[in-house]
Amino acid sequence: MRNFKNNPVATSIFVLPAVLTFSMIVAYPLISTLLKSFYEWDGITAGTFIGFGNFSRLFKDDLFYTSLRNGFIFALILTVFQLGLGTVMALTILNGKTFGRNTLRRAYFIPVVLSVTVVCQLWLSMYNPEYGLFNKLFELLGISYRQDWLSSMSVTSIIAVTMVSSWQSMGYQMALIYAGAKSIPEHFYEAAKIDGATTFQTHMKITIPLLAETYKICLIFCINAGLNAFAHMQIMTKGGPGTSTYTLTYMMTRSAFRLDEYGYGCAIAVTLVLQCLLVTLIINKFIARERLTY
Amino acid sequence: MKILGKSRSVLFQSFLWIYFLISLYPLVYLLFFSLKNNDEIFYTNPLGFPMHLRFHNYVQAITQFDIARYFKNSLIVSVASIVFILAFSLMFAYAAARLEWRLKGATYSYLLLGLFIPTQVILIPLAVLMRDIGIANSYSALIVPYVAFNLSFSSLIFYGFFRTIPVEIEESAYMDGANIYRIFMQIMLPLVKPAVATVTIFAFLSVWNEFPLALILITDQAHKTLPTGLLSFSGQFSTEWGPMGAAMVLSSIPMIVLYLVLGDQVEKALTVGSAVKG
Repeated sequence: MRNFKNNPVATSIFVLPAVLTFSMIVAYPLISTLLKSFYEWDGITAGTFIGFGNFSRLFKDDLFYTSLRNGFIFALILTVFQLGLGTVMALTILNGKTFGRNTLRRAYFIPVVLSVTVVCQLWLSMYNPEYGLFNKLFELLGISYRQDWLSSMSVTSIIAVTMVSSWQSMGYQMALIYAGAKSIPEHFYEAAKIDGATTFQTHMKITIPLLAETYKICLIFCINAGLNAFAHMQIMTKGGPGTSTYTLTYMMTRSAFRLDEYGYGCAIAVTLVLQCLLVTLIINKFIARERLTY
Repeated sequence: MKILGKSRSVLFQSFLWIYFLISLYPLVYLLFFSLKNNDEIFYTNPLGFPMHLRFHNYVQAITQFDIARYFKNSLIVSVASIVFILAFSLMFAYAAARLEWRLKGATYSYLLLGLFIPTQVILIPLAVLMRDIGIANSYSALIVPYVAFNLSFSSLIFYGFFRTIPVEIEESAYMDGANIYRIFMQIMLPLVKPAVATVTIFAFLSVWNEFPLALILITDQAHKTLPTGLLSFSGQFSTEWGPMGAAMVLSSIPMIVLYLVLGDQVEKALTVGSAVKG
């Protein structure tokens, strides 16, 4: 009766396309990255084994530390901006009395579905020192605060770049938090209501602690997005001015595809993964170790 | 106390609507400047509604610059990717959830590893591989990786769905003389339709907007998709903002329409995606 499920031919037909595609495109290059990080490799020949040579060079490279710093700035701003605003927005919109809540939700989410190129080009035009929206606004308000947003060597440029990403995906974090908060059963709030707690107290004591799992996901998402940032630099600054907006992924692609140092690029990729794994492990360890149950 | 609560809620309300403007005004600004000429954008009317609607900018974006071709490329790549993503992951998930074979658990876990691997980690060897097997700069150079990258997530979603379907349905179909392929095609597939919608939306958004792979793997103009294609005219156009804006508006329309029509389903598909990856 049940033997129709034990059918090797059908199983192969069902399983092989996915497994073969995945092995060729994901698993094989992954192993290749790991191996080649120990090689001096130009992407054409087999390369020469140099042990930890790429890594020791990387740890002496100033650019690595600039990139690392920028990754963390990116991650920090994303986290503060998106989780902070996202929480306030999600919880306010959750309140049935808020006027126009569905309109607001849709409006906050729209930038999420746009392509990163459109968003970056749009912000490039807004940041334009002569004709951009921001400087025009300051002019209109009579404030003489004109800025060349993306050309400063200090942290201003990386912050300006990060704001673009923060603006684009705030709605995404909000949607995550909103979905999480909506699934909290009503009865958790009844006792609080009887005790006369304010909305603010209720959220601080009940909603936010119950959302620990959701916050963990949001946090991992923000930090990984920050550490892996690439498209914004590629489109808006090309890592510049100078090397002040480099990130690890940007450095990796430049090493491989501009300088033909494929092995060095692989070493950067390996460092990047280890970093993301480490952060994810730390977050998993410290947040939501035990599920809260009331 | 009551007054305090009220003024606080007014404060919150105005904050929400201010952010509403921050969220949407840049897009409105884009729409406006796509209908203006440089003179108007730069000097006479940078912020407001266009004085003359210069639809000619859109004609220019379509006729002189390759926007139509990038659009076509994006469409071909997205549709082909989605077809293969759905086919491969539905078949795999069905076999993993319902058939009996050795190494089932191990194979399933192996495929799910994909959830934890960021694209950029494998970018370098992938680019070399694509060059070596001679499909760099073709549609397949994007379709094959997009399929591979979306398999893990889609299989996970479908697996969950297949597991909830009662075994009796398959068994009675088998008793009626259906073979395994017919059971899969005619009985199981219709039952997982909601999951197909979720996966399709998720895959469509991620493929349509994908940037790093498209940038590295496609260098010739003829095969560029919208995200990289748009990039190539910012240089040509740095002097002419109107047509550039028009091109950006045109390329964003499908996603915005999709979101406005499907709304909650889009949000759900995207948030399920990250909840899984976290």
